[in-house]
Amino acid sequence: MRKLHFDPRTKLLLMIFTILSATLSPSLYYASGLVLLIMLFGFACGKPRYSLLGALTYTVFFALTILTRDFLYGTLQTMLIAFLGLVHKVYPCGLMAGIMIGSTKVSEFMTGMHRLHVPRKIVIPLAVMLRYLPVIREDWGFIKDAMQMRDVSPSLGGLLAHPGKTAECVYVPLMMSASKAADELSIASVTRGIENPEPRTCLIQIRFGAADALAACAFLLYFIAGMAVRGGWI
Amino acid sequence: MSNSPAANRKGLTVKDLVTIGIFSALLFITILVGGLFFAPNPVLTFYMPLGSALLGGPVFLLLIAKVPKRGPVMTAGILIGIIFFATGMHWAMDIGYIVMGIIADFAAGSRKYKSVRMNILAYMLFSIGCTGTYIMYFIDPASWASTMLRGGTEQAYIDTMNASAQNWVLAVILIGTLTVAAFSGWVGNKMLKKQFEKAGITA
Repeated sequence: MRKLHFDPRTKLLLMIFTILSATLSPSLYYASGLVLLIMLFGFACGKPRYSLLGALTYTVFFALTILTRDFLYGTLQTMLIAFLGLVHKVYPCGLMAGIMIGSTKVSEFMTGMHRLHVPRKIVIPLAVMLRYLPVIREDWGFIKDAMQMRDVSPSLGGLLAHPGKTAECVYVPLMMSASKAADELSIASVTRGIENPEPRTCLIQIRFGAADALAACAFLLYFIAGMAVRGGWI
Repeated sequence: MSNSPAANRKGLTVKDLVTIGIFSALLFITILVGGLFFAPNPVLTFYMPLGSALLGGPVFLLLIAKVPKRGPVMTAGILIGIIFFATGMHWAMDIGYIVMGIIADFAAGSRKYKSVRMNILAYMLFSIGCTGTYIMYFIDPASWASTMLRGGTEQAYIDTMNASAQNWVLAVILIGTLTVAAFSGWVGNKMLKKQFEKAGITA
């Protein structure tokens, strides 16, 4: 299947529609329809495997909800319903977010945000944050190795046996490397002209196209249909 | 850096913005790791804010120590709100972080970001942001589940709800989060004194 390219702004818009639809969803079946719609969008974005897996996981939750609703009673039901309520509100948005983040490059995202006139005070830290999140995972691997070399166990058991020492061994290198990275990244970004007051340009052209309009319409219509059901017009 | 126009301005410099970004990422990870144990567990899911508040203290205090100006806590709150929004968390939590981030910034700012106690208090306020979802739940537990229960079990459900999820759970969540956050801030402050001030990282 050919991969469609969506504008990052369209993705943000779809995300907002998804959240609105999921929050105001009138029924369980409506929420599962939303997941189906998101899965189709995921296919269009070129993330078929992730979307399919996400939809299958949702099916499991869906079956679980039906079982809880019809076959359980008392406190257990209350507890599970409260929990599953959260799942049904959050899951479609999480699936959508995964597709959005997985299919958008940081530079594209920055340009999109810039076009939306989001202030730089937000855009710069946000871009740094997105860039730094994978680095933390990498650092964590190194710290774990180093801790094992010094006979400090980087596990829950180690934390319980020597809480102070283990916590220090995790926090100190993590925060030291973070503040070092802050210095280096700010030097690098100033050198590359982040303070340039001119409008930002991007190699990848971003503009609204037919695919964007189609996707936005589909999600908007689905949202309106949900409101109609909720309002009792259908 | 001293020659750049941004450094001469009084507000946040690019270096401050980058620092905020990196520490927000760390803060986000601590919230995620702390909450991960609680969130997918139906029994413990209500106590997730407690877990989320446990790990962030040292990171939060170092952020304030590194950027003692108006803005870092506020921006961190907004960023974490945005990223939780983008990862599809419940909207009340996103709004909670943004609002409490702004309030926490004013709290820390009232002592010019230098008072340890005020900074810890700011972290406690910041951690409360996580409870937004649960406050929404307790305001109206019936409508929370109504989407799933359009089938007639509604009354039975509301009865059990009234019996088991009392309002004291909300109090436990709020007070517990504040306590855990205070503890985390206390540990963070000790760590800051012991390790980072000596190394000159806090300057």
